[in-house]
Amino acid sequence: MSIPGAGLGKGLAVTLKTLVTPSTTQQYPDVAPELPPRSRGVIALREENCTVCMLCSRECPDWCIYIDSHKEEVVVPGAARPRQRNVLDRFDIDFSLCMYCGICIEVCPFDALYWSPEFEYAEYDIRDLMHDKDRLGEWMATVPPPPPHDPLGEPSKEETAVAKRASAS
Amino acid sequence: MTWEVVLRVGLVAVAFLTLPLIVGQTEHKVMAHMQARLGPMYAGAFHGWAQLIADGVKFAQKEDVTPRAADGPVFRLAPAVALLPYLLVLLVIPLGPGDLVGQQLDVGLFFVLAVVGVGVVAVLMAAWASANKYSLLGGLRAAAQLLGYELPFVLSAASVAMAAGTLSLPGIVAAWQPWWLLWQLPATIVFFVSGLAEIRRPPFDMPIADSELVFGYMTEYTGLRFAFFLLAEYVGIVVISSLTAALFLGGWHGPWAESVGWLWMLLKTGAVAFVVIWLRVAWPRLREDQLQRLCWLVLVPLALAQLVLTAGVRVALS
Amino acid sequence: MTLQDVLLAVVGLVAVAGGVAVVSTRQLVRAGLWLVVALGAVAVEFLLLGAEFAAWVQVLIYVGAVVVLLLFAVMLTRAPIGPSTDLDRPALPAVLVGAAAGLGLAALFVGVFGQFQVPSPAVGTAERIGDAVFGDWVLPFEVLSILLLAALVGAIVLSRPSAPQETPVAQGSSR
Repeated sequence: MSIPGAGLGKGLAVTLKTLVTPSTTQQYPDVAPELPPRSRGVIALREENCTVCMLCSRECPDWCIYIDSHKEEVVVPGAARPRQRNVLDRFDIDFSLCMYCGICIEVCPFDALYWSPEFEYAEYDIRDLMHDKDRLGEWMATVPPPPPHDPLGEPSKEETAVAKRASAS
Repeated sequence: MTWEVVLRVGLVAVAFLTLPLIVGQTEHKVMAHMQARLGPMYAGAFHGWAQLIADGVKFAQKEDVTPRAADGPVFRLAPAVALLPYLLVLLVIPLGPGDLVGQQLDVGLFFVLAVVGVGVVAVLMAAWASANKYSLLGGLRAAAQLLGYELPFVLSAASVAMAAGTLSLPGIVAAWQPWWLLWQLPATIVFFVSGLAEIRRPPFDMPIADSELVFGYMTEYTGLRFAFFLLAEYVGIVVISSLTAALFLGGWHGPWAESVGWLWMLLKTGAVAFVVIWLRVAWPRLREDQLQRLCWLVLVPLALAQLVLTAGVRVALS
Repeated sequence: MTLQDVLLAVVGLVAVAGGVAVVSTRQLVRAGLWLVVALGAVAVEFLLLGAEFAAWVQVLIYVGAVVVLLLFAVMLTRAPIGPSTDLDRPALPAVLVGAAAGLGLAALFVGVFGQFQVPSPAVGTAERIGDAVFGDWVLPFEVLSILLLAALVGAIVLSRPSAPQETPVAQGSSR
């Protein structure tokens, strides 16, 4: 910085370079943003996978998952006595409380909850952010397929088990 | 004869209404892209070309507020006084060879310098009549700045007038020769810099420094009156750019000047206006003492030295 | 009575009215603004009489610089909005003195120059004024320049803070 005015010249150069560089602005409402495939947009529910174990509801840091259920007897032919099964009545997530930590998705043992990159669900009234299980189920369609396994990584447990069984027989 | 005068004045009025808008729109877009943004994109559908028209409509709809403590008549008159000098100046700036100029004036350069100086009165009127301490501070800063920079402004213009041997703007442009670019280089720089200070553009926007004085003497203005002040600023850019282009960059001189001279003049004016915008984006604001120091310790001596040089070369040539 | 005469009279009236407003308004800053009107009207008079150069000099120096300096000074010190009640201006003597001076000057001019028929001069271009100033009147011009330079130097000397240890004599003005 020995030449006086060098900083001024640098300022001019930087702005001119920025001028001729294309801007990276995304014109959002006109052009959909390019989100990474695993974006945390909204939580989707696959209802038939849910066993009402309540793990998600209990692990939720701000208690925004509300679950109601009742038990039903299912008569399985050939069984000694009817089995009991939990039936989901209500599965609500209050997105005005949710902080998108993803713990519920992590803890779900039966893969009933997924991240969906969908994010355009703003409402005019904060109470409308309470989404029921039908609404959460609709988002299952937007959940991207799981990423392929790393070809250099370890094979999954299922694959090794199948291979072991095949070699054993 | 009278029809010709009406036509000329009408054309100047059209230039007065369109060129500042073009400069303003260019500023929107250039500034945005220099800051890695896009700028206005919606108004007018194509890259926001109608943004300033939309702004004008918005300004016209706003309530015209005069503060209760303000001096009403003076407050309401100030924007018009700010705008008028620049309109008059546009009358005498030559666009092309021959008499492609709003009004041939024998002492055109002198007229320009005199009329531009009147703009200070508008600033002081607005500043004082607003009954606001920020406005008054801004006005005082503006007055001190304009009084100081008037000197190098006039001196550097005098240099080129001396070189051309005439005060008429078309005469100066006609006498211009390419080697003057080198000979009058100090005067060019001094004129451009003090011109920037005259129209209070960054880096000389201490009078309206929005981060400390809200908006200086324009703080209390709303609606159309505020729009007038903004318009005055952009007409000011047009005036200073076209004066720099006409006096120092040769105006309509260029290849095929006889047929497309006006295009050269517009191109040069546009280039200088681009530099004005560029400096606004790139450079920080000068502090008040730095501003006065630059004027009195750098620009005035430089302008005086240039006057001596010009006189010497003129005497040696004749 | 040509159109020029009418315009001359009207603009002259504007100038006089502006001047009266300068001294009669009770609002300090507005007095300065009325001065702009008065001096601007004088510039228009010059323009109407064909003295283009003098007109623009009037605008540049008086409107652009002197009035601005005046307003600047007033605003730096005290510039209330609204009438100032503490202005001490006896009206009657002022009117008498002003009217007497004006009428006296008018009588003097009419008496001295009234019988001359001055040929309508050519347009007061910059070239003619330059020729006159640097030709016929070069000596007074240069003397005036030196006078102004002396005044300038004097003003700088007066406004400089005196170094106390070197000039112990010049203490009288320190307040």
